[in-house]
Amino acid sequence: METFLQLVVNGVGKGAVFALLALGFVVIFKATEVVNFAHGSLVLVGGYLVVVTRDSLGWVGAAVVGIVSAGLLAILVERLLLSRSKLADANSLALLTIGLDVIITEEIVRRLGVTVPFLGEAWDAQPIQVGGLTLFRTHLVAIGVGAVLVTAFFLAFRYSDWGVAMRAQAENREAAALMGIRSSRVTATAWLVAGLLAGVAVLFIATQDFSGSGLSRGTHSIALAAFPAAILGGLDSTAGAVVGGLVVGLTEALSAQYISFDFSKSAVFLVMLVVLVARPSGLFGTRESTRV
Amino acid sequence: MSAPTLREDLVELQVDSVTLAFGGLRALDDVSFTVEPGTVHALIGPNGAGKSSCFNVISGVYRATSGRVRFGDTELTGQRPHRLAKLGIGRAFQNTALSPHSTVLDNVMLGRHALTTGGFLSCGLRLPWTVRQERRHTERAVEICEFLGLGKVLHAPVAALSYGAAKRTDVARALAIEPTLLLLDEPAAGMNAVETAEMAATIRDLRDALGISILLVEHDMNLVMGIADRVTVLDFGKRIADGTPSEVQADPEVVKAYLGSGSEDA
Amino acid sequence: METTTLIPTGPPATRPRRSPARLVRAAAWIALAVLLAALPLYIDTAWLKAGQYMMIGAVGAIGLTLLTGQAGQLSLAHAFFLLVGATAYTVLAGPTDEERVIGLGLDPGLALMGAVLISALVGLAFAPVAGRLRGIYLGVASLSLVFLGLYFGQSLDSLTGGTSTGRTPATFELFGFPFSNGGPEIEVLGVPIRQAERIWYLFLVLTAIAFVLARGAVRGRVGRSWRAVRDNEAAATAMGVGVARAKAGAFAVSSAFAGLAGVMTVLWFDILKPDESEYGTYGINVSIAFLAMVIIGGLGSVPGAVVGALIVNGLPQALTLFSGDLGWFGETGGGGLTPILVSSFIYGAAIVVVVLFEPGGLAAIGRRLTGLFRARPREITREETS
Repeated sequence: METFLQLVVNGVGKGAVFALLALGFVVIFKATEVVNFAHGSLVLVGGYLVVVTRDSLGWVGAAVVGIVSAGLLAILVERLLLSRSKLADANSLALLTIGLDVIITEEIVRRLGVTVPFLGEAWDAQPIQVGGLTLFRTHLVAIGVGAVLVTAFFLAFRYSDWGVAMRAQAENREAAALMGIRSSRVTATAWLVAGLLAGVAVLFIATQDFSGSGLSRGTHSIALAAFPAAILGGLDSTAGAVVGGLVVGLTEALSAQYISFDFSKSAVFLVMLVVLVARPSGLFGTRESTRV
Repeated sequence: MSAPTLREDLVELQVDSVTLAFGGLRALDDVSFTVEPGTVHALIGPNGAGKSSCFNVISGVYRATSGRVRFGDTELTGQRPHRLAKLGIGRAFQNTALSPHSTVLDNVMLGRHALTTGGFLSCGLRLPWTVRQERRHTERAVEICEFLGLGKVLHAPVAALSYGAAKRTDVARALAIEPTLLLLDEPAAGMNAVETAEMAATIRDLRDALGISILLVEHDMNLVMGIADRVTVLDFGKRIADGTPSEVQADPEVVKAYLGSGSEDA
Repeated sequence: METTTLIPTGPPATRPRRSPARLVRAAAWIALAVLLAALPLYIDTAWLKAGQYMMIGAVGAIGLTLLTGQAGQLSLAHAFFLLVGATAYTVLAGPTDEERVIGLGLDPGLALMGAVLISALVGLAFAPVAGRLRGIYLGVASLSLVFLGLYFGQSLDSLTGGTSTGRTPATFELFGFPFSNGGPEIEVLGVPIRQAERIWYLFLVLTAIAFVLARGAVRGRVGRSWRAVRDNEAAATAMGVGVARAKAGAFAVSSAFAGLAGVMTVLWFDILKPDESEYGTYGINVSIAFLAMVIIGGLGSVPGAVVGALIVNGLPQALTLFSGDLGWFGETGGGGLTPILVSSFIYGAAIVVVVLFEPGGLAAIGRRLTGLFRARPREITREETS
């Protein structure tokens, strides 16, 4: 029972991070109907800048630089590439992001070379013992940060001008444009938000407690688990992204313990497959990504 | 093509007390009519009258809540939709539904699918019988295209066609299944007056030359009155009239429905 | 707003060919065949290996372009089916008396066909899932097969040999003739025809078969039903195409091609070695490389897929072989530019460029070029259509 509780806490900790990534996917998808396959490379870029600037700026400064650069890169991708291709449909643009992902990932992996640097933490790495449970601070911080950011996101999504415009655009692009909503600004902001969230996520992923591995190609693979998170929640559902993130985190933690560590990654995707077969547009999704 | 005689294998299409409900909403309410062999039968009505729903029940896209559709001795309700082509029911679409990047001939050849056989290996290996079959059916498809005035654009991608030509390609594809009943969904939708007149002429030619039954859903009254042998009028999912064009035109209920809707643009 | 999709290639439908054009075309094919058959007499083993690697890519890419381009089903599972084919061949043809791994001792020729068949069946097994999903949903769902493959590759080591050692595949033989350095000594124009040359010819024949089958299918009834399902399911249904069946068929066919590419892969490496991470011989990177091939070549185009494979699989090989002469590249893993890295940059960029500027890929460019030499007017005006 204690093991189980322990796993649940770990799973939720990981899930909070996946939720941040999945939320980014969903925001981009809602704004543009594009699935951003380059999300993993945003994660890598954010992490890489933390590694590079950490010595001179300290962890907090480096973290800010990493988060901001992931956000800026996302905006650049949207402004310089996607927004210029008025002729390509969303599915083609998704393929474009695959190409982009290859370039950015390879470049970061090249720069990392043989090093696999941990990003380090601003908090004590010593686990906390609570009534027989060993709690990793990274997971606790991730849960806290995840909760704060997700809440902030939902408040912004609900009440800010951007949130209202964004929801209007997701509902009906033409009507939103007629109402004077500037689609380009909404879209760019969506990418910025997604990039920032990816930049936050990597601070947790490339740590000893979360993955046991520093920044590397493996970080990109871990970020891939945000796909099943977003998809099983429903690509156009922000709440679904959060639930999906938690499901993925829990599935990974539980299956790694009770089945095998090697199986845990497959387990995540299997759960997604089962959900998709039952509900082709995910748990909370309202529309399928169809080509008409 | 052949002389204007009726084909012998024609059967009637009976729509029998069909009701289609989406939740509490009745899109069709106890609708019945019969398409007699060799006639042009029009299904008309104001926007939202249930024409398209009726069409989709016949072609198997929707399943009727109650009632049946029979084609000769065959029960259509509950048939898997892709079986209809084999039964000799061809369908043209309101939005043409063609493959835009494929050629006209390739699109029309799709209509031969149910009449031909061959899977990946026999196509891939280009076995002699596959090649012969392909050649024979291509000849027929070309003939159908020429009949519809598409002879010059056989190898043009559909995306490069004018709207009228695309509509005719869609009709050609439906004809390529060698139907005894042709379902036309708003054949004149989005057409200008000249194109509409051309389409009317084409439909008449089809009936006369091929001797098949045609059921068309249409909004354009002029087109319908010019070519239909019989007209069924729907309003709010109910049949409000059924008769010859002149009978229907004189029917006060029909006049009321059309004037009331205010959407008549013909 | 008019949008274009990246899934456009129509069929090169039966176009009435005037006989001179037909002769030119036939002559070009014969010239190409002679050239490819003569190459082993003139180029060395390293380049032959590079060419073989391109042919592996070509076979796989042809399969993927049928599925994704013609039938409109985005798949990132291609690498998984490579692993299925590779494993199936190794197990079927493997010796029966090994302690550590299972082998059925079948004739290698039969094992190859068996492996292709098994891959097709596994693809068919996934078809019910694939049939329910569309577009990106299917793309991500298919990704799960790669992860399953990774897991099974690691855990079923009695089949795959395990990640640490892998296992050696049986030498390919046809009617007792080995595609290795053993068997009868053959010499043509003073050049000994040994393993590299023999595998070259084997792969050449396999690639040619894959190409011819795919082209025939695209032009025929099957290809039409796939395109119809891709472009409009309602219309396809109305024309008598069973949509679920057509999709399942495309998935099975594509998996069979991938399985064949898997058999070729294992013969090329001369070892079956499952990956340790998602990045490897049968990993996500391979699925993406195949997708890159078909996007660059033009989705749905069979010749395009082959050219895409020459680029994506050929570049790293060619750069490696040239690097000795040029001295461009640093050491692997030292943060320098490696041939694999440079080619990844190139094909990544090529995908971006194709989507932005030429959604039809190289196939569209090719059609435009041949169009220049054709008398037929390409644009169809309104007047012509009436």
